[in-house]
Amino acid sequence: MLSQLLRSEWMKIKRKGLWFLTVLGPLGVVGLTMVNYGVRKDYLLSISDDDWSVYLDSILSLTPLALVLGIVILTSMMASIENQTNAWKQWLALPVNRSSVYLSKYVIATTLLFVSSIILGIGTTLYGLTLGLGDDIPWLRIVQVSFYPWLASQALIAFHLWVAVANNNQGITVSIGVVGVILTFMAFFLPDWFLWKWPTLANDWNNPFINIVLGISAGLLLFIAGMWHFCRKDVS
Amino acid sequence: MSIIVQTEQLTKTFQKQQAVDHVDMVIREGEIYGFLGPNGAGKTTTIRMLLGLMKPTSGTVRIFGKELQKHKLDILRQVGSLVENPSYYPHLTAYENLNVVREIVGVPHKRISEVLETVRLTEAAHRKVKGFSLGMKQRLGIAAALLHQPKLLVLDEPTNGLDPSGIIEIRELIKSLPQQYGMTVLISSHLLSEIDQIATAVGVVSRGKLIYQDQMSNLRKLARSTIRIQCSEPGKAVAALKQLELAAAHEQEQLILENCSNRSVADAVSLLVHQGHDIYRVEENKQSLEQIFLSMTDGVSL
Repeated sequence: MLSQLLRSEWMKIKRKGLWFLTVLGPLGVVGLTMVNYGVRKDYLLSISDDDWSVYLDSILSLTPLALVLGIVILTSMMASIENQTNAWKQWLALPVNRSSVYLSKYVIATTLLFVSSIILGIGTTLYGLTLGLGDDIPWLRIVQVSFYPWLASQALIAFHLWVAVANNNQGITVSIGVVGVILTFMAFFLPDWFLWKWPTLANDWNNPFINIVLGISAGLLLFIAGMWHFCRKDVS
Repeated sequence: MSIIVQTEQLTKTFQKQQAVDHVDMVIREGEIYGFLGPNGAGKTTTIRMLLGLMKPTSGTVRIFGKELQKHKLDILRQVGSLVENPSYYPHLTAYENLNVVREIVGVPHKRISEVLETVRLTEAAHRKVKGFSLGMKQRLGIAAALLHQPKLLVLDEPTNGLDPSGIIEIRELIKSLPQQYGMTVLISSHLLSEIDQIATAVGVVSRGKLIYQDQMSNLRKLARSTIRIQCSEPGKAVAALKQLELAAAHEQEQLILENCSNRSVADAVSLLVHQGHDIYRVEENKQSLEQIFLSMTDGVSL
């Protein structure tokens, strides 16, 4: 059933601009880094001996914002596919499990963001190579910078999917999302338990792995809560 | 005929207001069941419970003899539905809209062309639904409901917002379904004329209660006509009419004949005139279906 639902969901997001956003997000991050290096490359290369590290930190400072914004827009747009003409009543009157329907939406959202992470990884590597940051390419760190924020964002994906699906009014969804983006912007000042801080990979222990564990486990809990709510909700 | 849909004491309460109040609905195989009631009477809420979109506050729904709560997916595999205004994905073409549903119900691609042909949308198959007229969207909704050749088709106000030719078209389509495909159809409407022309059985709902349920033909019998003849000495006239084996009644200086053919009325008048009765007035009183429903629904018009 899940595979059928996923095939349907992929068809439904056609022409909605979701793929465009998926590509735009990581290109935006690399593009802003290009501007940064274009304006003050000499200064940035003089900060430390490890130029790759400075470069990847610069990428990592932008990634969480793009990711949170992406999560808000993608989940909201995915829910709006059904909300727009109240297609839930048609969709859920088909022989489908509501839990599978919810899972399929989650899988689509997280897969699109995974694709964004891949593009980010490729873009980061390619632009890094053109900058001449040294021959010792830190492959592991590039993979971490590209994919750790995505792993740590699973809780946010689950949270925003829940909010978007539960509210017909996408104004509420986007408003909550905007607050989330502002919180991510101020992540440095936020406590470690705060959802919006996790994609920055920062914490008091200086161990990004903690954010990933938190992101995935809280993500699982929020996903189950959202699914529980979705399965019991009356479709009006 | 086996029972396809049966609800027992089906009830739905929204914040202390009973939208559906202990409804016992029975729909038999091959019927076109007209679910009739004023706007806000509880039709759509009942239909949503039949499709598992809403959970009843109390009561049960059995479809194809199985309890909906326990066998929801099994049941929904054989049910096609169109609930209220059509739901569609405006950014997709008609074909793509149906393909999205096709994936779920697991029928071959050729079914899409077949149902598009059935609802006469073949030419518009590859146009985005965004630009469709309401009638076309409604027909697309019906096409989606027909895709997997369901045994039970549930249509909630399918002719809402359509122009007269669209209404006729959809009506003819729905009428043909039980014979062509052996489907049972539940169709709701707030228009009596609509149900009168299409349904073989009828359920009337008012303020959440199912106040009437029977074959349409039985309902029509309630609308039988009476002939009232005002004449001199109606008492004697009643006796005279016994020669014609007409059961006449005498009420307030009037003679009342029920369910008479034109021939019988002519014979009765002729006989009375020959016997020297003065005939002052011959009137037909026909209670319309509207009047019957108005009295059923306490004056809430349909």
